[in-house]
Amino acid sequence: MVEFEKVTRIGRVKYWEDEAMNKNFNRRSVLKIGAGLMAATALTPSLAFGQTANINYWHTFTSQSEFAGLEEVMKLFKAAHPDIVVTQENIPNPDFMAKITAAVLADSRPNVTMVSSERFADLLAMGALTDMTERLANWDKRSDFDDSRFDSITKDGKIYGLPAFSFVDWMYYRKDWFEEAGIAPPTTYAEMRDAAIAITDPSKGRYGFGLRGGPGGQNYINNVMEAFGSPVQQGDQIGLDRDKAIEGIAWFSGLLTQDKVVPPSAPNDGFRQVIEGFQTGQTGMIWHHTGSFQDIASKLEPGVEFGTLAMPAGPAARVARLAYAYNSITKDENADASWEWIKFWGEPDAAIAFLDKTGYFPASNSASADPRIADNPLYKPAAETLVFGRPQPSFPGLAGWLESVVLPAFQRALIGEATPEQAVDEMIDGLNQAIG
Amino acid sequence: MATLSIKGVRKSFGSVEVLHNIDLELEDGGFLVLLGPSGCGKSTLLSIIAGLEPSSGGDVVIGERTVNDIHPKDRNIAMVFQSYALYPTMSVRRNIGFGLEMRRVDTSSREDAIGRAADLLQISHLLDRKPGQLSGGQRQRVAMGRAIVRNPDLFLFDEPLSNLDAKLRVEMRTEIKRLHDRLGTSVVYVTHDQVEAMTLGTKVAVMKGGVIQQLADPQTIYEQPANMFVAGFIGSPTMNFLNGTLENQDGKLVLHHGEETLELSGVAKGASAYVGKKVVAGIRPETFSKGAGPSALTGIVDVVEPTGPDTMVVLDVGGQMISARLGSRERPHPGEPMTLSVDTTALNLFDPETGDRI
Amino acid sequence: MTSNPQSIMASSRPLSTWDRINPARYIGELSETRFWMYLLLLPSALLIMGVVIYPTLYGFQLSFREMRLNRPDLGTDWVLLKHYQRMLSDQIFWISLRNTAVWVTAAVTIEFSVGLIAALALNRNLPGTKVLAVFILLPFFLPNVVAGHMWALMLDPRLGVINDLLVKVGLLGGYKAWFADPSTAMAAAIIVEAWHSFPFFTLLLLAGLKGIPTDLYKAADIDGAGSISQLRLITLPMLKTVIAAAVILRVIGLVNSPDLLLILTSGGPGRSTQVLSLYAFQTAYKDFNFGYAGALSVIMFILLMMFAWVYVRLSKVNQD
Ligand SMILES: Nc1ncnc2c1ncn2[C@@H]1O[C@H](COP(=O)(O)OP(=O)(O)OP(=O)(O)O)[C@@H](O)[C@H]1O
Ligand SMILES: [Mg+2]
Repeated sequence: MVEFEKVTRIGRVKYWEDEAMNKNFNRRSVLKIGAGLMAATALTPSLAFGQTANINYWHTFTSQSEFAGLEEVMKLFKAAHPDIVVTQENIPNPDFMAKITAAVLADSRPNVTMVSSERFADLLAMGALTDMTERLANWDKRSDFDDSRFDSITKDGKIYGLPAFSFVDWMYYRKDWFEEAGIAPPTTYAEMRDAAIAITDPSKGRYGFGLRGGPGGQNYINNVMEAFGSPVQQGDQIGLDRDKAIEGIAWFSGLLTQDKVVPPSAPNDGFRQVIEGFQTGQTGMIWHHTGSFQDIASKLEPGVEFGTLAMPAGPAARVARLAYAYNSITKDENADASWEWIKFWGEPDAAIAFLDKTGYFPASNSASADPRIADNPLYKPAAETLVFGRPQPSFPGLAGWLESVVLPAFQRALIGEATPEQAVDEMIDGLNQAIG
Repeated sequence: MATLSIKGVRKSFGSVEVLHNIDLELEDGGFLVLLGPSGCGKSTLLSIIAGLEPSSGGDVVIGERTVNDIHPKDRNIAMVFQSYALYPTMSVRRNIGFGLEMRRVDTSSREDAIGRAADLLQISHLLDRKPGQLSGGQRQRVAMGRAIVRNPDLFLFDEPLSNLDAKLRVEMRTEIKRLHDRLGTSVVYVTHDQVEAMTLGTKVAVMKGGVIQQLADPQTIYEQPANMFVAGFIGSPTMNFLNGTLENQDGKLVLHHGEETLELSGVAKGASAYVGKKVVAGIRPETFSKGAGPSALTGIVDVVEPTGPDTMVVLDVGGQMISARLGSRERPHPGEPMTLSVDTTALNLFDPETGDRI
Repeated sequence: MTSNPQSIMASSRPLSTWDRINPARYIGELSETRFWMYLLLLPSALLIMGVVIYPTLYGFQLSFREMRLNRPDLGTDWVLLKHYQRMLSDQIFWISLRNTAVWVTAAVTIEFSVGLIAALALNRNLPGTKVLAVFILLPFFLPNVVAGHMWALMLDPRLGVINDLLVKVGLLGGYKAWFADPSTAMAAAIIVEAWHSFPFFTLLLLAGLKGIPTDLYKAADIDGAGSISQLRLITLPMLKTVIAAAVILRVIGLVNSPDLLLILTSGGPGRSTQVLSLYAFQTAYKDFNFGYAGALSVIMFILLMMFAWVYVRLSKVNQD
């Protein structure tokens, strides 16, 4: 029996000054988080019937469409596996690392956790993940997945998760505005900037580009630096090329400070604000991934008012990330049931149902070959991106550096408090702290 | 110093009128006591005089000024509260000088005034303490000090002694009297203690239910109470009320009460109008003396209470209890018959219908 | 002191064998001594030790260790004052310290002032104050997270009602991104915080006001003190203890909880709203550097202790 339960989160994660930091002293945390789990179990139906397995699933979905997609997948799973009860629990992104850290330290982990590639290294280092190499090797659908799909969840030859769906970076643009201005969709950063300048019209409240300078924007900042020739990670090498990085930051922040083609709210704009800005006709272009397609299509007409494009190329590289949301086993108990749930996301039916609700690309080849995807021109840029897209860098400390160093430093450049040089120097210092 | 006159003052809280048409006059330097049972409106009237409560009608005149619309601070009055209302966070010195401080009196004259008031009240050694560190009596003195330091036209006291123990109360009562004699400032003094009223007041206003029952000097209030309420309220033990019928017997007025007949001489002139009617005779306990006479009552001794200077005797006269104050040597035994004669010159007759004195 | 049971008993009567071994006798004897008090306190003292002191000490020792969860290769050795040394040259620490001071001072000042005004208004017992009280206290019942998201929406540069209102009233030329501009981000966050927490002061001050006898104000009226003087010389001095307790509690709350800023600005733009609690939180949960985060928390702890001590001194609350 599968149950769709929205479990309210109990309380707030305790801060580090208490238990979470403490590997040895975790009784209080067990009590705290245990209380949450008890409440969670109390909500699930009684286990009196047969061999029901309960698993709980932590994920970071945020939008309406994502919730709808998850609900759909759970419905299908319930039909296929009446003996497994999945309780889903939404962990907001900003809280995610704190909650999972506390859960791991207190040993009150969820059975299955959604792991994004930039968090893999940290989670693995703290011992949150279970080796799934065996299970994958023995799985009949393994051949549906290219080996590269597992790159960002593999360490020392061991695989720790199965991709549930893909994040394919691309951009959305206002087709109608571009046509009205008589300009072609951009393929390079330079063209993108020109286009942004062309369609910006403050008197109409129109801005060329919805820059994400708030929460979550750090990944795009890093992408821009890489596109200008300063990848933070090359093989085992970690570091920035100062001059190239400065060029990148100067160009990117210049969109606001010099060109003024970005809404002034950019330094505080996160996911919601960027999407809303585009939906409400404030901005003409935004960078995101395919997962927001349905959200945008709910407000603007696809193919008429808005179109999709592959990410433009920077001076040194064309950077579009191909990332996967992995599902990983994070608890030994009921591991077989957890594995059933994780595998299920690889079924074409589940994957297409999820795409239908959200726009997220499937991770399995058989699902992406489905005509519903292959024949849709709006998905073509995503298919192109699958060819040249690259994985996220991955090393311990990366996520923290991006969020607590790169983002604020870039914001300082955006608000004119720091020059691009100073911002990059801050990033370099922070990087040394993070990996030193 | 000033006169005070209150003309037709009324006060309602919502739809309830708690003061009905109050008229009062106080001469310059007089001491007016507002006396009455709890809830009769004494504090309310005082607050209206002080300006802390607006009246619903009528005038308050202090000296020559009608002060209805004048703020309390400009009425040149001082008030002592039942709770003393000392400012707990200020020293005694500052408490006393607060009114002067607020009136921007310069420091040295303020200090002088505080010193004088403190000397008068013998609290000079307490000036640097906080109210919390004082005894009840000391607080009371500080409250007085705060009142007198400003040399007001009128003092208002709201039951200033009711929080003190019996002994201290008597002491302070004397002190207040002395203070009033010395300062000569007009005083309005609220109490429900009749002894305070009798000892302190040059004028007593007995109130009941928001109405002044009688306004007179204490002697008159005691000897010629305007009605049965006043008569019963003043005096301890209270006045005896004897029901009876007034008759003219051999050219003399007599009161029949059951078997007993009291010969009345020297009572009010209006009494003859009541011949043949029911009246109530008010007899103070101390007007009885042992032995027979033309006006005497006989009954059975019920209770005997020696108090030291006197012996209180409760006598059952035809079913009605009469208390009498006799000399300390008298020791009747309960159950004995006893005859008491009455000094009818001190007797009051009341109309049982209206309760008013005849 | 007579703590020796033998001596007491011996003086009164000879001891029987049973007396010598009777445990109740010893307990009875013990209960007469001054140790008894400490014995009775022992269970609660142990509880406090376990629940309060142990974790605090644990946090302290952590600040002297290397403890980076995502870097098991570094081990968890003692590093003495390394973290504290780093702090001296850590720009972000100093910015956070300054921002914390601004954040706490401004928020407490506004919360206290508004809270006092609200409490004074509610204390007048005019008709309708009961209903008004519920409305005034409402913000306080909202969880921080809810209040934060609500205000983030209301101040939103695209959809926010506040921009809408200000533009319509003519105070603002166009929509403003309050949290994107370093010159308004902190102020906006402080206003949200003040809105959310001023009822805390209202509640405590109202309780305090109810305890002030009305006679004092009548006396002050007669003494000629105006309403400002009455507030300054009577009301506030009488609320001193309540105010001190409320301020200390609120300061501790403001220094320690990053959640509102986490939602509204995450410390941005740049570092303009970065405060110590947020920095420590990020150091622990984004960078997984629990050692450094521990050191930051120790500093916050010490600063709070110092604040409370100095404040209690200055306000002289424990004098009377
Ligand atoms: N603020 C008020 N609202 C409504 N009724 C009031 C108010 N203040 C006083 N009263 C009523 O007015 C009447 C007179 O009250 P007041 O305080 O003057 O009595 P008092 O004679 O001083 O009594 P006590 O001897 O007990 O002090 C009482 O019935 C009281 O209930
Ligand atoms: Mg009264």
